[in-house]
Amino acid sequence: MKPYRVAVDIGGTFVDAIEFDRESHAIRVEKASTTPREPWRGVLDALDKLGTDLGKAELFIHGTTLGINAILERKGARTGIITNEGFRDIFEIARAAVPPEHMYDFQYEKPPPLVKRRHTAGVPCRVNVKGEVLEDLDEAKLLEAARRLIEEHHLRSLAVVFLHSYKNPEHEQRAARLLREKYPEVAVSISADITREYREFERTSTTVLDAYIRPIYEDYVDRLKQELRNRGFTEEFLIMKSSGGAMTSDLARRSPIFTVMSGPAGGIVGTAHLARTLGKDRLISVDYGGTSLDACLVENGTPVLMHEANLEQLPVLIPIFDIRSIGAGGGSIAWLEEGLLKVGPQSAGAMPGPIAYGRGGTEPTTTDAALTLGYLDPKTFLKGQMELDAAASRKGIEGGIAEPLRLDPIEAAAGIFNVVMANTVGAMREITVERGYDPREFSLLVFGGAGPMFAPLLAREMAIPETIVPLAPGVFSAWGMLMADLAAEFSHTEVQILEEVDKAELEKGFRSLEKKSADLLRQQGMSDEAIELHRALELRYLGQEHALEVPLDSGLSLEDIRKRFEELHQIRYGHTTSDLVQTVNLRVRGQGVLKKPEMVELPPGDGNPERALRESRPAFCFAKRGMVPFKIYQRERLEPGDRAPGPAIIEEATSTTVIHSDQTFSVNAYGHIMIDTEVS
Amino acid sequence: MKPLDGATVEVIRSYLFSAAEEMRRTLIRTAFNPVIYEVLDFGISIYNRDLDLISEAPSLTFFLGANDYAIRKGIEHIGEENLEPGDIILLNYPYWSAAHVSDVTLFAPIFTPKERKPFAYTCIRAHWMDLGAKDPGYVLDSTDMHQEGLIFPGTKVYKRGKPDREIIELIRFNSRMPELVLGDLDAQVASTRTGERRLLQILDKFGMETLDEAIARILDHGERLTRKALRELPDGTWTAEDFLDDDGVSDDMIPMRVTVTIEGDQFKVDFTGSSPAVKGPVNVPFGMAETMSKVVLKALTTPHSPTNAGNFRPLEVVAPEGSLFHAVYPSATFTLWTGIVGLETIFKALAQGMPDRLAASSGGDVPGFMMIGIHPDTGRFFAVSNNDPVGWGATMNHDGANATNHLSESLIQNTPIEVFELKTGLFYEQLEMRPDSGGPGKFRGGLGQKRAFRFISDGELLSVMKKSKTRPWALAGGHEPEPNGMILFPGSEREKKVGTYRVDVRAGERACNIAAGGGGYGDPAEREPNRVLEDVLDGYVSREAARRIYKVVIDGDRVDEEATRKLRSETAR
Repeated sequence: MKPYRVAVDIGGTFVDAIEFDRESHAIRVEKASTTPREPWRGVLDALDKLGTDLGKAELFIHGTTLGINAILERKGARTGIITNEGFRDIFEIARAAVPPEHMYDFQYEKPPPLVKRRHTAGVPCRVNVKGEVLEDLDEAKLLEAARRLIEEHHLRSLAVVFLHSYKNPEHEQRAARLLREKYPEVAVSISADITREYREFERTSTTVLDAYIRPIYEDYVDRLKQELRNRGFTEEFLIMKSSGGAMTSDLARRSPIFTVMSGPAGGIVGTAHLARTLGKDRLISVDYGGTSLDACLVENGTPVLMHEANLEQLPVLIPIFDIRSIGAGGGSIAWLEEGLLKVGPQSAGAMPGPIAYGRGGTEPTTTDAALTLGYLDPKTFLKGQMELDAAASRKGIEGGIAEPLRLDPIEAAAGIFNVVMANTVGAMREITVERGYDPREFSLLVFGGAGPMFAPLLAREMAIPETIVPLAPGVFSAWGMLMADLAAEFSHTEVQILEEVDKAELEKGFRSLEKKSADLLRQQGMSDEAIELHRALELRYLGQEHALEVPLDSGLSLEDIRKRFEELHQIRYGHTTSDLVQTVNLRVRGQGVLKKPEMVELPPGDGNPERALRESRPAFCFAKRGMVPFKIYQRERLEPGDRAPGPAIIEEATSTTVIHSDQTFSVNAYGHIMIDTEVS
Repeated sequence: MKPLDGATVEVIRSYLFSAAEEMRRTLIRTAFNPVIYEVLDFGISIYNRDLDLISEAPSLTFFLGANDYAIRKGIEHIGEENLEPGDIILLNYPYWSAAHVSDVTLFAPIFTPKERKPFAYTCIRAHWMDLGAKDPGYVLDSTDMHQEGLIFPGTKVYKRGKPDREIIELIRFNSRMPELVLGDLDAQVASTRTGERRLLQILDKFGMETLDEAIARILDHGERLTRKALRELPDGTWTAEDFLDDDGVSDDMIPMRVTVTIEGDQFKVDFTGSSPAVKGPVNVPFGMAETMSKVVLKALTTPHSPTNAGNFRPLEVVAPEGSLFHAVYPSATFTLWTGIVGLETIFKALAQGMPDRLAASSGGDVPGFMMIGIHPDTGRFFAVSNNDPVGWGATMNHDGANATNHLSESLIQNTPIEVFELKTGLFYEQLEMRPDSGGPGKFRGGLGQKRAFRFISDGELLSVMKKSKTRPWALAGGHEPEPNGMILFPGSEREKKVGTYRVDVRAGERACNIAAGGGGYGDPAEREPNRVLEDVLDGYVSREAARRIYKVVIDGDRVDEEATRKLRSETAR
């Protein structure tokens, strides 16, 4: 038996590598710097630091930011679009809306389109809304368009999208065949291979982005695969999908768009796993890193999944966790606007970074505030690899914020925290309120370097009784990847009145999606016993635009389906009506269940955390609104069953947990820290 | 006592903003009609005891501060002393509510247990689907208010927390779509209650004294930001004129005249000289003339910060009673398009004083259409409406955006072709940008688009636009683009270009909506030849126009520099 499972997660600043030993249940972690120019190098650096014998690894799973970075930095391939004649501007016109932050901006300037208009071509062919061919594909004109785009404009990638191809993909498929035959060196993406859902701009955008990142993705996967093989790895390596499942790297290089939010997905898979082991139905995950705070809701033990996301104003129709970014991070800059204190959205990033880093940053950030409030130990930050300059932080806050506001530096630093918190609490409340929940019914699960310092305060503000800080919160995303299964999701649009649906046709539709899912999982080496298939139907009242996803078991009658829809509608929207119900999309999620590391319960210790006590130092307590002595504990010396009241700070290599005096922490059987907050 | 620090004030400002935002999510979540949750046809505000706007959730650009006028008039009508905890009041009398009858404003006082007077108010206006107007859907030719629907002059629909069944039955029996309308009323009530709970929590956390002081500081802050920005603008008085196509009942063009004055940190918009109120439903209540002015002031001074009443303290709006921009009873006000063309006219006046800071006209209007009919496949009734994107105006520094929704509704998304074809009896033949439709200039106006469709079932088409007879304006010597227009039955004997129009259509017939481009900025003969080349290569500009208008000669895929220099110098002479 090969004992090791290895996961690597690329973040903005660090590459995290984690090794799980199935025999000893031990976990080891290493970090290396991110290498944006040659992303595979950072992965290998982290792996080499970890030193796992890859010949003894049964699994290597990877979360990568390659796709998203190529899109953000506009470094993808030169891409063209082939579509129906008369409709070549679908991609550029998009949905014609202005981003919310520009709603009053009469000088608004659209970013230049990812695909130039000269690189688009319309070809005669047309399918109607029922999928009937009204005009056949003009193959000669298709090839002529391709010749112009490839031979004259030297494009490396083509996206082919025709109207109503979700209903009848024959023209797209034929076009792909012809193009690949004639130009095998060009990456051709067609919408029908990625999504069978209606809305032409969204499908086009999805397909364009897939084509856009494909050439660099292929190079990356091939390179990494070779390097892994050189290090003795003989298994198929896996890449995280945005929906938290995984896919083989071979499959990923053919449809890279599915992995575009690969990195953050790991943390959510980890969250779901913890939700199950701890028996928590409702969690809000809070991932607080250097530039943003990302939150995701877990309801009924399952993270909220959506089927559309936006990347730089470009929609993608792929299954993806509903992760919301709230614009505050450790590097967010505090500033004054006509006498009011604001924090962010500008961030000092890693360069120059907070004042404390001593890399030339002059504007106070939330990290400088944390240092001034006594939460961070300047000497032990990041295992002491970087010494922080607390005096400079304090001085920066004093000059930039405290004096103009006539506060002392401590009050000003606490003010910075209060402002960040007010913004965050508002945003967190909104994501629960919009789904019909009260945030107080949830527990917080926090990770990312800065999360555990901040989340207990959020819990106080939002009256959330329980906050969970998992083991190794700084590398939780990589840990989560070890918990992933293979996933294969398929869907298609079928707009019909529910009451008029032919039950046999509906069954046939689901069977065909299930077959596709199962085939794809088998193709990736899954056995039939390991395959689970889940159906869902998206429904709405006639006249509505947004649909609700209703999980289905086979054998439900149409009346049962309507009833389930209405139950959900009542929770989500607070009402039901007597209107007709309409089906929108059929969805099947196939899971190829992989063996997971088992989390072992550790025997309780003596319950007294004194053994982990390092020192005591003054820090700001938000319950007492002043500097008080905090007990400083070392996390690695805490044991299950330990329990102590705040004020306390728990330090570990990549993170710091701050517990205020109206809170109590304990360590559970798996080693996670549970923080209780008194709520009135 | 030590004054409140800027951190605490910001924390309270942020909580007040979240309260409005939560109200918004609650409304979107619980509303019955798609016009609310898709088209964002609503406005949400929170007021202090003095009826100053303290927080607002963004929706339609045009609903900025739109409740301010309504809530004052509503409370004037009822009397503050007659408000009790749990009351909720309805108002849609257009001359008070500052919108058309279909936009129903609902507001609720919030009390503390200790005080007799409310310390705050929540307010939500939302588009109701039907209140028994003369036509279902939209009204284009009413001639007095009583053809436009049931009127609430400030009516308690909840009294001390209990719904008034008689009022609710009155609504039910006066609407063609009672279920939707009463569902939306409930959604507005739920949203109001959310706001009330949140405000009481904020009060509980900070106390009345701190809250009042923070609100005063927040309003002063809003005022300071606006005044500071105004001081950086040139002083002066500028007048612009433009025309509405018609009033919906006759064909006469209607003159509009706007004079804008900036003096130090004061901003004044004066509509004097515009047409007297007209017979058809294009008149504008005074509160809406104020809102249009607020949108311009906001866009000019503080486009990126949240809105409060402080922002509008430097604003003065003048419109003579009984004129187009100050409609009085019983003038018809249903077709709100005057607001869009009027907004453009305010910008047009300002542009004379600061052409370097503004953009030329963005299509001049919002060219929209609606269709009702029977779906060819399902046999069911359908109704759709669609507003097309326009080319935005060029500025001193850059080209206008291509095919983008007008500033007055810039957050709204268009309807996908595949959705349109599924829901309606329409089949699309073309939807593309129109080459050469952007107003030429040193910087080019954005391109407009063309939407050509065929009807596959019988029905009724409503074309809605109010600036199709004249061109959108340009700046600093730029050129004006072709105007908007709906072309009915193109290629047939009945071909006709119309603006606002209602017509029966039959399966097989065709129509084409032409959305204008944006105005150009500066002399097109001064446009960098390479930019013209790029435009030609992308098909935004034809080779012919490049030569004739931009005076750039393009040979294959490069600029013929010699010939261009020659052509440009000949023209200059």
